[in-house]
Amino acid sequence: MRFEYYQPSTTAEALELAARFPDAEIIAGGTDLMVRLNKTRRRPPALISLRRVRELAHIENGAGLRIGAAVPLRDVAAHPAVTAGYPALVDAIRVFGSPQIRNMATLAGNLCNASPGADCAPPLLIYDAVVELRSAAGVRELTIEDFILGPGATALEAGEIVTAIRLPPLPPDARSMYLRKGRVQMDLAITGVAARLELDGAICVAARIAAGAVAPVPRRLSRTESVVAGAAAGAETWARARAEAQDEISPISDVRASEQYRRHLTGVLVERSLAQLASTSGGGT
Amino acid sequence: MKVEVGFRLNGYEVRAEVEPHRRLLDVLRDTLGETGTKEGCGEGECGACTVLVDGAAVNSCLFPVCEAAGTAVTTVEGLATASGSLSPLQRAFLDHGGAQCGFCTPGIVMAGVALLAENPNPSDAEIRYALTGNLCRCTGYIQILDAIRTAALVTRGGSSD
Repeated sequence: MRFEYYQPSTTAEALELAARFPDAEIIAGGTDLMVRLNKTRRRPPALISLRRVRELAHIENGAGLRIGAAVPLRDVAAHPAVTAGYPALVDAIRVFGSPQIRNMATLAGNLCNASPGADCAPPLLIYDAVVELRSAAGVRELTIEDFILGPGATALEAGEIVTAIRLPPLPPDARSMYLRKGRVQMDLAITGVAARLELDGAICVAARIAAGAVAPVPRRLSRTESVVAGAAAGAETWARARAEAQDEISPISDVRASEQYRRHLTGVLVERSLAQLASTSGGGT
Repeated sequence: MKVEVGFRLNGYEVRAEVEPHRRLLDVLRDTLGETGTKEGCGEGECGACTVLVDGAAVNSCLFPVCEAAGTAVTTVEGLATASGSLSPLQRAFLDHGGAQCGFCTPGIVMAGVALLAENPNPSDAEIRYALTGNLCRCTGYIQILDAIRTAALVTRGGSSD
């Protein structure tokens, strides 16, 4: 069986390989792909590894952040600009797998795997993150909503590589967090909620709420956001948000939790995260 | 078609002719004969295959051997001195009964090594968090926590008594 393992050192070289082998799989951390390969005898004709592409191995801090596709999650969570500005992402990485997994897995890989419960997706949704895709034809940028199309399905085309995730700058007073519940740390999410809140005195000026593992794709809860935006910060608003979120999501029952429990728990996490964000001082952390 | 992969294993340069789809785990055990590293689940859940690559703990069952080229790999065989005296963490596992059937032990010891290298004085919560990716089905973990706590103390220059 013919199988090649390519380790390009530049993005241009990686794109050339991706164009030459449209059926190749792209590998970064490998924590999802290797599990799949270990379980099947079928192999792609080639793997194109991004780990030695130096341009993709770092985080650029300019207008917002540009996180290269080969940066392991451990380094993302440890980056000062991430901890200072994007705490919900740090929360998600903290509950992501194990130390061993976080030393390998990447943000780009988590999105490309397109699990409904991808822990990094809800934080990226509330931060309006953008997926940067490159091919021999050029570059395009997609929102998370436009990139993840269904369970395991993305907008990635043959010959295309996700090269980075971009996080736009946030308003200085935005507060955000991610709460996730699983049976145990190593298990997948039963539900995960990311919330971002901007307050002007006692009024919620803007809210972003996203949830994972409660719909075919990780998604923003726009109806729940509308309940919060413009409302008075307080228990009554948080309770209304809880009820709206419970109604807005479309969870399934599976081995981890029933549909009813997921609805209940998602509402609780929405209410809890909003209350916690409102009670902390602003400034992102 | 085989490729040649070279890396530093426990301080020694090694080279192996391998099929490019091999996992680091396979090459360590089957090609290089270092069978201390175990395969448990083969999907990154149990941690029995944990080794260090350039100091970072990884699941060698998910690690393509080609990615090891040029790196420094440490396995459980690399912990004791050449004359056979155990590292403080190995010693503490022995003293506390941190191993029962022993299958998970090499992986847990390597996760412990990675933890103590980064955090010489971990709290109990930090030890537990560092072992999230390692399953033991015998000991109940208490003796393992005791062993890591003791090794941290000994390494920092305290007494284990």
